[in-house]
Amino acid sequence: MKNIITATLVPTLASTFAFLSLTTAAPARDLSISVYGASQDAYRRLLYAPFEAKCGCKLIVEAGNSNERLAKLEARKGAPVIDLAILPDYSAVYAARKDLIDPIDVSQLSNYTKLYEFARDPIGNHYGVGYTFYATGIVYRTDKISISSWKDLWGPKLKDKLALPDISSSQGPMLLMMAERAFGGSDPAFSTGMDKVAVVKGGVVSFYSAGTELVQLFQQDEIWAAVTGRFNWPLIKRLKLPLAWASPSEGDSGGMNVMVVTKGSKNRDLALQFMDFWLSTEVQEKLAAERIDSPGNAAAQVAPEAAENLTYGEDNVRRIHLVRPDIIDQQRAGWVNTWNEKIKP
Amino acid sequence: MKLIGRTLLVAQLLFLIGPLLLLALTALSAGETLEFPPDGLSLRWMARVFEIESFRASFMTSLLVAVASTVFSLLLGLPAAYAFSRYTVPFGEAIRLFLSSPIIVPGIVVGLALLDFVVVPFALDPIGALLVAHTALLIPYSVRVVGASLAGLRVDIEEAAVLLGSTRLGAFRSVVLPNIQNGVMAAAVLGFITSFNQVPVSLFLTGPGVSTLPIDMLAYVEATFDPSMAALSVMLAVLSLIIVFATERLLGLSKYV
Amino acid sequence: MSSSSRPVAGLIAPAFCFLLICFIVPVLLLLSTSLQGHAGWSFENFGTFFQSTLNRRVLWTTIRLGVLVTLSSVVLGYIAALSIVDLSAGNRGRVLGLTMLPLMISPVARTYAWLVLLGQAGVLNDFLQLLGVTQQPVRFLFTETAVYLGLLQLFLPLMILSLVSALENLPPDVVTAARTLGAGWLTVFFKVILPLTREGLIIGGTLVFTGSITAYITPAVLGGSRVLMLETLLYQRVHLGNDIKTASVIAVILVGLSFVANYVIRKLSSRKT
Repeated sequence: MKNIITATLVPTLASTFAFLSLTTAAPARDLSISVYGASQDAYRRLLYAPFEAKCGCKLIVEAGNSNERLAKLEARKGAPVIDLAILPDYSAVYAARKDLIDPIDVSQLSNYTKLYEFARDPIGNHYGVGYTFYATGIVYRTDKISISSWKDLWGPKLKDKLALPDISSSQGPMLLMMAERAFGGSDPAFSTGMDKVAVVKGGVVSFYSAGTELVQLFQQDEIWAAVTGRFNWPLIKRLKLPLAWASPSEGDSGGMNVMVVTKGSKNRDLALQFMDFWLSTEVQEKLAAERIDSPGNAAAQVAPEAAENLTYGEDNVRRIHLVRPDIIDQQRAGWVNTWNEKIKP
Repeated sequence: MKLIGRTLLVAQLLFLIGPLLLLALTALSAGETLEFPPDGLSLRWMARVFEIESFRASFMTSLLVAVASTVFSLLLGLPAAYAFSRYTVPFGEAIRLFLSSPIIVPGIVVGLALLDFVVVPFALDPIGALLVAHTALLIPYSVRVVGASLAGLRVDIEEAAVLLGSTRLGAFRSVVLPNIQNGVMAAAVLGFITSFNQVPVSLFLTGPGVSTLPIDMLAYVEATFDPSMAALSVMLAVLSLIIVFATERLLGLSKYV
Repeated sequence: MSSSSRPVAGLIAPAFCFLLICFIVPVLLLLSTSLQGHAGWSFENFGTFFQSTLNRRVLWTTIRLGVLVTLSSVVLGYIAALSIVDLSAGNRGRVLGLTMLPLMISPVARTYAWLVLLGQAGVLNDFLQLLGVTQQPVRFLFTETAVYLGLLQLFLPLMILSLVSALENLPPDVVTAARTLGAGWLTVFFKVILPLTREGLIIGGTLVFTGSITAYITPAVLGGSRVLMLETLLYQRVHLGNDIKTASVIAVILVGLSFVANYVIRKLSSRKT
């Protein structure tokens, strides 16, 4: 036994300490970024690797959902391990309010003026730059129902066949907004929308939190319609089912993702370089061609076939009603409480 | 009676393993989604797993963390288990409960607590943080499992060795250790599996460039839904099964849980 | 057995100190936020928590599912464990290895297996319709049944393992002896087996109950928004605006429930002896 213990112990400890010292003695130029988990291998190929070659630095990536990543940013306030983070616009408002991020010197971004007007300063004071946005709309089974208005989700045919985003997911506020608009409300806190969702709750199969769950729900014939972000459309479309993205008369809602730089980052210059590289027409076109991100750069050209999977083109952009991020940030806690009272089972 | 018992046992095994066999079949699907029956058979998703770069790095991290924290927890847990079996420990029950406490605290709270009060103040890097957390998490298992195997050991042989002039440590090495190595291995296997599949505790402790495999898989399914995640799980399960069968064959795991 | 306290302290101190510094103190510091009211220390966060009907209902669902899963795994666990210890040594190892399989598979993949099984176009529904038991697909997902099955599959192995190791310490022939003396199976179980496997039952029962009430992925995926458990609420609180106070309240309740479960199992298993 002694031999077993020494045989396993010595190499383990040795390798552990070797590993620890390796990770602590990092080279001077590392840029730590915090991003969503999706398509990491494609990002590596199209974005990270080319940038590393260009700057001679190394990108260290943390990938995961935005709620967890934001909670980590907050826990490490004052001593950030992340330089640049990708967040939903309303999370960036929260981060600015909690003093976790610094304004961006946009004069250093050569591609800044190519961005869509609404993507240039979505949260104010240049705290964030929008690099992509998406529509939030309705996916439905064309053989079972037809959808021409958001109100159709309240129809009897969809009872027990509908999935909606939970208020805690990034798509929850967009659902409230469209319900508010469809039923003629004008409360900035979307109280009409909330009441309407409460009316339909009994017929909702699931208020989901991760959009990928919808793939399974459509496939298992649990649902015939769902409200979701356009970024999930390519995944859902792969199912061999008659599915379509609806064009309701009220238009679609939508959201934006922004880049932010953490307060106290020691690599601001690199972070800005990386930001500028990501916003460049060339990179945005490549990411769009692989159906990863809809370009926030208005100069980026996208082939029709790829565009069908994205949110692209003047008409589509005009159809989107973005929810103001500061409103989401302000209302979210209240929404969650009302939701828990009125909508949770 | 025996026949009824066996039938019920088989039924339970079916319940425990059936869904996983189903998953294994869907992982072999040639189609784009998890479905049963699978849409044609192919190994494409198995192959896909090896193309995903981050899985390789996080697999190595998980392996390192699981092995190292298992070893650390044994180093800390074994002496404690020995003390409980050989001596009257003052406040024995309370201390035992204290050493078991990592089992009953929700994992996400452990992760947050360590991040706020250990990792940030002491500037631990993610690997260090994961090692500390997982070691704490596994201590209850090593104390308990090794303790069970010590309980089955006769004290008089060890005492005899001491009477015959051996030191306490010498007696422990020559008499006790060889007799509890099965228990130690059982604790190691259980600890390894627990650490390797751990999600909630690790959630807040991973950092830029360092993720564990289960966390990486979670991030992957939240963003991309295809059978590669099932394929990876099935391959890992087969690997663990081989390890368990090998240890079982050598040592008899069942005795010491 | 000597009881000199010097070696005892030296042997226990490393594990004790490590857990104290790296686990207990940080966790208690975090949980203490549950007692921070608007003006100093108070139980007001607990009061607010229990005022909500949703929270009370979720607490009840959590307790109910925890108890159901624990009771089922006790019954099933004894049946399985008694049959397993009857097997030859080699088969015993193989069967135990298979039993542990659910513990070895990634939690994410394990729950998705249930989705494929329980969906309306899933294997179980196809099977029921084939047999003519049902005409229409039945919804199993997002019901307590689905969560119950998922949790049972995950934690039954722990109970079986605990009981098998307890049964192996049983003196051989004690059951046969009792049977020859004319005792019925139930009498043998309550008078002989249960008292002698009490420790295994307590360990297994606590592990299963604690595991069930603190599981996250299984209820989140199989229960969706329809079956909420405390752990789901805890995650929601942490993720939305970092509401650590309420999260700590929930965590304190969960830890409390585990202690109560341990106590109850201890009492129940000793009463019959």
